Amino acid sequence: MKINNTPENVQVEETEMVFDSSRRRFFQLAGGIAGAGLLLSAASCRRTPSSTTFLGAGDVALLNYLYIMKQVTAAFYTQAVATPFYGISLVETELQVDLRDQEIAHREFFKKLLAKDAVKEIATQLSAVTFADKKNFLSHATTLEDLSVAAYAGVIRVLTNTDYMLTLSKIQSVDARHAGFVRDINTHNTFADGSLLDSNGLDKVIAPLAGMTLLEKYIETKFDKSKLPTF
Amino acid sequence: MNFKHILSEIEKTDPEVYQKLSGRRDALKSFGSKVALAALPLALGSMFKKAYGKTTDAVIDALNLALEFEYLEYTYYRQGNNTGSLIPANDLPGFKAMETQEKAHITFLNTTITSLGGVPFTPKNFGAPTTVAPYVPAAYDFTMGGKYTPFSDYKVFLLLAQIFEDTGVHALQGQMSQLLGNNPILTQAFQLQSVEARHAAFVRHIRRLAPINAPETPSPWISNNIPPTIPFQAYYNGEDNVEHNGVIITNLPNIHYNNGAMPKISATGAFDEPFDKTRVLTLIAPFKL
Repeated sequence: MKINNTPENVQVEETEMVFDSSRRRFFQLAGGIAGAGLLLSAASCRRTPSSTTFLGAGDVALLNYLYIMKQVTAAFYTQAVATPFYGISLVETELQVDLRDQEIAHREFFKKLLAKDAVKEIATQLSAVTFADKKNFLSHATTLEDLSVAAYAGVIRVLTNTDYMLTLSKIQSVDARHAGFVRDINTHNTFADGSLLDSNGLDKVIAPLAGMTLLEKYIETKFDKSKLPTF
Repeated sequence: MNFKHILSEIEKTDPEVYQKLSGRRDALKSFGSKVALAALPLALGSMFKKAYGKTTDAVIDALNLALEFEYLEYTYYRQGNNTGSLIPANDLPGFKAMETQEKAHITFLNTTITSLGGVPFTPKNFGAPTTVAPYVPAAYDFTMGGKYTPFSDYKVFLLLAQIFEDTGVHALQGQMSQLLGNNPILTQAFQLQSVEARHAAFVRHIRRLAPINAPETPSPWISNNIPPTIPFQAYYNGEDNVEHNGVIITNLPNIHYNNGAMPKISATGAFDEPFDKTRVLTLIAPFKL
């Protein structure tokens, strides 16, 4: 997806879709259009596209990392609700709205908590996701939810302000519920896959720098991570 | 186990650990050739006690509550998984996975508590002839005094499983404050609670769908403070809290709604809530013999 996309470009793609009945082509376009829509809304609030965004230092950087993750997941489910996967059930439709709203709740919580230290809104890059295709969408949902769960465990290892730790635990378990759910509708009984857990039956931990790097696959904004505590 | 690695990991989260231990050299010396391999967990435990003496007892206490919960869950799933055709073939792999994972948690918690110098919890009647450790059916009455029939009615089995998993998550969260200052163990508590939350999501989702179609239409997460049935309201009271770190979630924006504010159902679903030890013990008491 290019930065200079305009509404006219998007319109051309939509027109093409009408004449191309190939299933694969349809999915590709649906993903492209979805991404373009997000880019347009994100681009409008971006002032300096070429600069890097500083995450801050210490605990602020850690909370910004979680805030950025929530910006990605909220954008991801907002798009999923707008362009649901083919064959979605009524219950899944309802639960996807919950996923979107809970991610927005988490995002706004971190924004409020960080106040003046919050990074500005970022430009997400979701063109790799084919929202219309159930398997593709759910594989990305699984990646993002499993990453979220592991991210909190990593953040807690290096966070110094104990005031936030309990709240992070209350959010992480809900993300784990999300992870269990998206995994289960992808393949039943894989909510806590044996390949995911270690020999103690524990979930994964990811160091903040490694987690941020994985997350950046879904983000166009570039970040200065030099002061992000990690291990 | 690589103890030098453990020490360096602790050093990263608590740079002052060696001052607390009177120097890295001394810390490492205690793991020198003089310490027999079998005595290492004990030596590690006494080292932790020295470094974190004020809080070690609180940590052990917290982990023991988690361990008590794991015994209950493991015994429940093992009994369910081995009860004829109780669990449909479609869901059985999930419950077998949960059984395996709860067992792994018991081993993990036993090892951790021991290495901290504590005495791991064991359920009542641990020595009963029916015990195949850590399976201790003689410790529990999952019928709640004959009121419920979890091992002959899958709907009831799921209902109690939901209670156990949700309460398990909340019990761990209630213990997080006991672990503050001990980031390595706090991290592991996070890794543990998220697995329980995955279990809860699985069970709740099965209850939502056909053929169960639970009347309260549960989501994988907890909306407001809705229990599966009225007698279990006490297991969900307080789940409708909307304030965290002074932030009122229902006052936050959500452009997808007409008034532009976050609906309470989303605000409450987005956060699990901690239960303290007294409450947790009260809630599981009816299932214990």
